[in-house]
Amino acid sequence: MPPPTDGTVAQPVRPFNTDRLILALCLGIPVVGLLLFFIYPLWIVFIRSITEADGGLGIANYIEILGSKGFWRATVHSLQMGLATTAISIVCGFIIAHGLHRCSFRGKNLIRAAIVLPLLAPSLVQGLGLIFILGRNGLLNKWFDLGLDIYGFWGLLIANTFYALPQAVMIIGATLTLSDARTYEAAEVMGTRPLRQFWDLTLPNAKFGILSAAFVVFTVTITDFGNAAVIGGDYSVLATEIYSQVIGQMNFNMGAVVGILLLLPTLASYYIERMAQKRQFGGHSDSAVPYVAHFTPARDIPMAMASFLIAALTAAVIAVVVYASFVRLWPYNFDLTFKNYDITLAGGYAPLWTTILISLMAAAGGTVALFLLGVGIRRAPAAIAKIVYFMAVLPAAVPGMVLGLAYVLTFNSTATPLYLLYGTAGLIALVNFYHYHTQGYLTIMTGFRQIPTSLEEAASCLGSGMLRVVADVVTPYVMPMLAAVFFFLFMRSMVTLSAVIFLTTPKMTVAAVTIMRLDDAGLTSQAAAYSTAVMLIVTAALLAMKFILHKIGQHKSLEAKF
Amino acid sequence: MYLNVQNLTKTYGAFTALDKISIGVQSHEFVCLLGPSGCGKTTLLRIIAGLTDADSGTIHLEGQSLSGLPARQRGFGIVFQSYSLFPNMTVAENIGYGLKIRAIAKNKIAARVDELLTTIKLPDVADRYPWQLSGGQQQRIALARAIAVDPRLLLLDEPLSALDAKVRAQLRTEIRDIQRTLDIPTLMVTHDQEEALSLADRIICMDHGVVEQCGTPQELYLRPATRFVADFMGTSNLIETSYIRECMPDLMAHHPVGDDDAFVACIRPEQISLHPDPQGKATIRSVTFLGNLRRVFVESPAGPLIVEAHGHVDLCEGQSVRLDINPQDCSWVANTPPSGAP
Repeated sequence: MPPPTDGTVAQPVRPFNTDRLILALCLGIPVVGLLLFFIYPLWIVFIRSITEADGGLGIANYIEILGSKGFWRATVHSLQMGLATTAISIVCGFIIAHGLHRCSFRGKNLIRAAIVLPLLAPSLVQGLGLIFILGRNGLLNKWFDLGLDIYGFWGLLIANTFYALPQAVMIIGATLTLSDARTYEAAEVMGTRPLRQFWDLTLPNAKFGILSAAFVVFTVTITDFGNAAVIGGDYSVLATEIYSQVIGQMNFNMGAVVGILLLLPTLASYYIERMAQKRQFGGHSDSAVPYVAHFTPARDIPMAMASFLIAALTAAVIAVVVYASFVRLWPYNFDLTFKNYDITLAGGYAPLWTTILISLMAAAGGTVALFLLGVGIRRAPAAIAKIVYFMAVLPAAVPGMVLGLAYVLTFNSTATPLYLLYGTAGLIALVNFYHYHTQGYLTIMTGFRQIPTSLEEAASCLGSGMLRVVADVVTPYVMPMLAAVFFFLFMRSMVTLSAVIFLTTPKMTVAAVTIMRLDDAGLTSQAAAYSTAVMLIVTAALLAMKFILHKIGQHKSLEAKF
Repeated sequence: MYLNVQNLTKTYGAFTALDKISIGVQSHEFVCLLGPSGCGKTTLLRIIAGLTDADSGTIHLEGQSLSGLPARQRGFGIVFQSYSLFPNMTVAENIGYGLKIRAIAKNKIAARVDELLTTIKLPDVADRYPWQLSGGQQQRIALARAIAVDPRLLLLDEPLSALDAKVRAQLRTEIRDIQRTLDIPTLMVTHDQEEALSLADRIICMDHGVVEQCGTPQELYLRPATRFVADFMGTSNLIETSYIRECMPDLMAHHPVGDDDAFVACIRPEQISLHPDPQGKATIRSVTFLGNLRRVFVESPAGPLIVEAHGHVDLCEGQSVRLDINPQDCSWVANTPPSGAP
């Protein structure tokens, strides 16, 4: 190294500006994306919601909506549905999570597998499954002639509960695994009976997890469109209200108003949920010993039975869809056939291939964008990083319906050149990516946080420029998260309905929308067949992800050895 | 014996964690279970606490058998290495929890908590949560929580290992004072021989699931019974009988009855004195300066020796020296194979 000549500190050999440029690109590209494809469309929704019939700005639309009976009915229904679903999902979710993490019985992997199923299917599959079991032509009505009508509150409640259950189980389960077995042993030695340990230790420590799960379930429920459209019947909720305003009455400004109003409770619930996460009891020591349950008949037998029952019902609703897709004429002729896989609706399987293409685009583009964002935000000045972080985690608070509406208002308007994107697969890939931006971002950042800063500093001191540090130090650490995010974005894009429902055109449509159209047309068995095909692809993606993560894991342990 | 453990055995598959262990604790006594990691000391403590089941053997407390009695009915107090305070409770709630379980009146619990907070010298933290405290403070609270219920036996599982050196030394003294004041029979697990020497009335030194030696700290240090104990407790020079017979015959006076191979001589480094002597048969290899003393590596006819020299004797490398050892200071230890050997 050359000695300093004029008393200043020697400059690094690398030109400083190259790194600045790379940093600017890393941060700039994803941020421009967020501004253009998330913030700007939301702004347009807001503007349209206050645009009156004569073109002027004002709150007349809001006054009209707030004065309409239909809106209030949908709002009351949404809140009722949200609260009821949340209550049931949290109780059932806690039972399963407690069973999985705090009880000792066999077959937990079966429960885990059953609980993951709803995430692999479009959200209207629960509705379809319930129609096959409880509908007018369902098994129960056929066998017992009950005259059940499943459409409406009860059907939607059951469908939403099954749909939301996996998330409740995962969030509550995560808090249950956090605790230290030693605290339970301390309680034991102090003379605490098991039930008392549950009330004094388990429940208080799971409090914030339960709260978090409750808000997530509530948000998922009031913003879900698929099940509400399939099994809601006359029970209108806010999500279907937006749809009927926009698609039914072509009343875009009114749709925007409902969208903004739907945004309020989800924003509030999202904010509270994030606060709850931060309030998790801190100070979990590294030396914490994980809790290992020992078989206790009085606790484990009832818990196992309850867990298996709930998991079996969750799986049954989906399994019946797969089964029905092979049945000749439900519920009269149960001969097995592939007839239902011969899709008679226009387009046939074309939307399925389009969906795969869209999902690959969203997954690949999204993973790259999130990786750049991760690299950039770590090196950005604190003030900028804070703003970018806020933008990156905001999309989770925006319901898919609202984002989809925002896109249609923004990109179906000839006011800007962005119009060129309308009706393309690329735009649907974009809406899917930004819809699931937050989850992807948070996953990638867990990888970035694992990188010891000393490692990057050491590489820099050895003379690596930013590109080298990213390639040699950062990438190996975040590789598993990149793979996980890629498959997450792919799988979500395959099944999501709410965000894309407004963006599909007769020429450019996706699988989930086709399933809805098939169901609308009364071709329920074909809808089941189409759903099965989607689930097959998503399941294959899930298995591929597990395999690749396993491979990466092996690779890393090999590295550690040498 | 107040606590009497007989023939306790515990295996995990093919691994024998405890092999017919028998130990005891007197009332008011502070006993340390000392040994390297994996020697079974924590397993033994957990079995006594009732947190792990033994395969066979008996445990009696004041003559009453503890077998089949769950941990929560034994009335013990326990402190873990990882503090393990209840994260959802304040300091006062943590300390008072055992009393609350026993349905003690609220005002009595409050009074007891105040008294204990004073005892552990943390009077002002009652309303804080565990994560707001330092490790040393948390461990003091854990200690207060354990003694709040006047336990019949206090169990300490490496309570100081997670703390940094200064806090550890301080808390060590406090644990000793509290135990003396309250007269609680105490069993502590540690792998730190210095901790055991300074705290215990009696040390039980374990290796590979068996008791190697049991005695006062002085006994273990000055009269180790086995090669393992001599090695584990501080530094020692272990010399085979044949060398002693040849080079230091006066040390043979105390050789126990038995084969030459059955025993080796154990001489502590500070028990050898060096005298510069051109006729001396030993040579100084190197000298390490350690402040108050010097550690000298000596090549002698009996093999390489380590000597600790105090004072200002002139010693330099290559010098010939004469070794002086008081026959009283040589202890003969059973020549068990070193740890890990078959």
